[in-house]
Amino acid sequence: MAPLKVGLPRALIHYKFFTLWETFFAELGAEVIISPETNKKIREMAISAAPDEDCYSTKLYFGHVLALKDQVDYLFIPRFGSNHKINVGCPKFLGLAEVLLSMFPDLPPIIRPYYSKAKSGHKNIRLLFIAFSVGYKFTKNPFKILHAFRKSVKAYKKYKKNLIIDENTLHQWERSEVVLNDHPILTDDEKPLKIALVGHTYVINDGYASLDIRKKLSELGADVITSEQMPRDIIEQYMETLDFNMYFDYEREILGTIMYFLESNKVDGIIHLMIFGCGPDSIVGEMAARFYKRKPETLLLQLVLDDLTAEAGLRTRIEAFIDMIKRREKKVAIHLPTLRIS
Amino acid sequence: MPFTFPHFGSLKYVFKVLLNELGRFDLVMPTKPNKKTAQLGAIHSPEFICTPFKITLGTFIEGLERGATELGMGGCNAYCRFGYYWPVQKLILEDLGYDFKFIALNYESPKEIIQVIKKEISPDLNLLQIIRAFRIMWLKNRLTDLVDKLLYKYRAIEITKGSTERVAQKAFDMIVELKGIRNIKRATRTLPQMFENEIDYDKKANPLKVCVNGEIYVVLEPSLNLDIMKRLNEIGVHVETPITLGRYIDVGVKLNPFKKFHSQLSVAAAKPYVEHRCGGETQENLGDVIMYKKEGWDGIVHLYPFTCMPEIISRSIFPQLSKEYNMPVMSLVLDEQTAEAGLQTRLEAFIDLLSRKRDANEN
Repeated sequence: MAPLKVGLPRALIHYKFFTLWETFFAELGAEVIISPETNKKIREMAISAAPDEDCYSTKLYFGHVLALKDQVDYLFIPRFGSNHKINVGCPKFLGLAEVLLSMFPDLPPIIRPYYSKAKSGHKNIRLLFIAFSVGYKFTKNPFKILHAFRKSVKAYKKYKKNLIIDENTLHQWERSEVVLNDHPILTDDEKPLKIALVGHTYVINDGYASLDIRKKLSELGADVITSEQMPRDIIEQYMETLDFNMYFDYEREILGTIMYFLESNKVDGIIHLMIFGCGPDSIVGEMAARFYKRKPETLLLQLVLDDLTAEAGLRTRIEAFIDMIKRREKKVAIHLPTLRIS
Repeated sequence: MPFTFPHFGSLKYVFKVLLNELGRFDLVMPTKPNKKTAQLGAIHSPEFICTPFKITLGTFIEGLERGATELGMGGCNAYCRFGYYWPVQKLILEDLGYDFKFIALNYESPKEIIQVIKKEISPDLNLLQIIRAFRIMWLKNRLTDLVDKLLYKYRAIEITKGSTERVAQKAFDMIVELKGIRNIKRATRTLPQMFENEIDYDKKANPLKVCVNGEIYVVLEPSLNLDIMKRLNEIGVHVETPITLGRYIDVGVKLNPFKKFHSQLSVAAAKPYVEHRCGGETQENLGDVIMYKKEGWDGIVHLYPFTCMPEIISRSIFPQLSKEYNMPVMSLVLDEQTAEAGLQTRLEAFIDLLSRKRDANEN
């Protein structure tokens, strides 16, 4: 019997949990098919099929699902609330499976486990329960499921540990001792610029949606750190200084990173990628802009992306931003001696 | 210190009652938001925030201009941006140079509400007095809901234009003035009689019945939905809305095992379509299609503010439900730039469709 094929759309929450899911299904003996990286065809399918008011990333999810639907026996679209007792995730993640089911009744069966620590009060043990209920679709051997579950959790933890740096590494990066992402391409022996790239995991890691911003930055000689790599302790520490509870779980790392770098002045610039129509982004974007007004030493560039964003426009803005940082440094260097003379 | 809060349809009377009961009489009553308020809010708001944020920010600026220094606002911890309204508005208003204090009540946690009230609003009251104030608030909220319901019913079939509104205004004033739990409970019976006696209406009329649901602020704030209830009433349609603040504040019904909110029934009905809560009124609105179809209503008008996250989910699932239950549903997105003529045309077209559907069924 040919192995059952399970499809994982490469969008939204996939970028957070793909190690977990890939390992789990592969260990169960299923054939894992991940939709291709976002491309023009997927984008066009997404825009024509998705509800017109969804944010760009959610629209792309629809495109990825449609790209997969004829190749797989099952689609895996989990309804994931959040992994925190109080703080919640995005409501769109919870509604996706049901919206897709309602809009496209001819989709292959959707595996849609529900898990949310906030609001529903689920415990970790529920993950095991979900693993078994999903696993029984692929194998009848409980030990195999248990093994797959253990292995996937292990792989996920390892992935997280590699991704999230500790404070020491962060300080090393700040002193340009280590490089966390692509090596910056430098022409002569100029100093690489330090840039913090802040945004949702599914935006900064999606080359097409973010218009290859990471590549562009390294071509311009910037050494990048992303918000998902930031040490959690620092983020939590900054979240506690706020006079309200930042209850959107994914936004904490975004705002925390921005606050940390605005305060510490350890980078030359912060680039904040936002998605048009994203609810949390509208809030966090405004907060970041207002915090920046109060502490304007480190430069902040906020870019709103949507399906109409042109590559040339984005490139121009990034180049202008980088130029501004470079000039600023030079100006300070030139400015000081003149001051001394007068 | 003068206290103000956002304008919230007929609920402004309820908030006034609560604050009066808590011993606060230094209120700056919010005025009804108009185009200028919305624009004032929109200028200083983030680009793609939902519309209620802009309107409430506009009313706060107007209130601050009129001398208020304490701003009352709700908060939450749910799949909604509402809980961030006050932190962001605080930053914006600080940048505008106002001197004020925000008092945020997290409606999801009664303990927190009582703590904040004890600390910020009325330090002299003890726990029992605060609970009593809330009790009067939710009892009076039942009355305002009742008046709204009667208003939307009688205004559709009144003979002298404007008579129902006059009676409703009288009723609201009466509700604010009412003293004593017994009088409040008696008003539940006397208010329908008052409408019945004082309004001259067409007794033979059999108007179309339309349910208006959606996001709570848009449905309950007439200046944001361009008074959609009145527009529907003027076309001669009996309107009702299941949306009420009562499900958050009416502890009396919450504790009563024999009573259920309409929303609870709707949520149960919507389970096959959206199984779990995903914020806002998603499940409630979807379930309303089924509930109101069962009760023999003709159609549903679903309202939500631009970029509202949970309501986009319900809007995407409405076509399926509408087909399965043969219930016409019209979803309308509203923001501060919605044009009156466009809205009116769409409503009239929808009502035409409903009346033809009814005629076809009768023949």
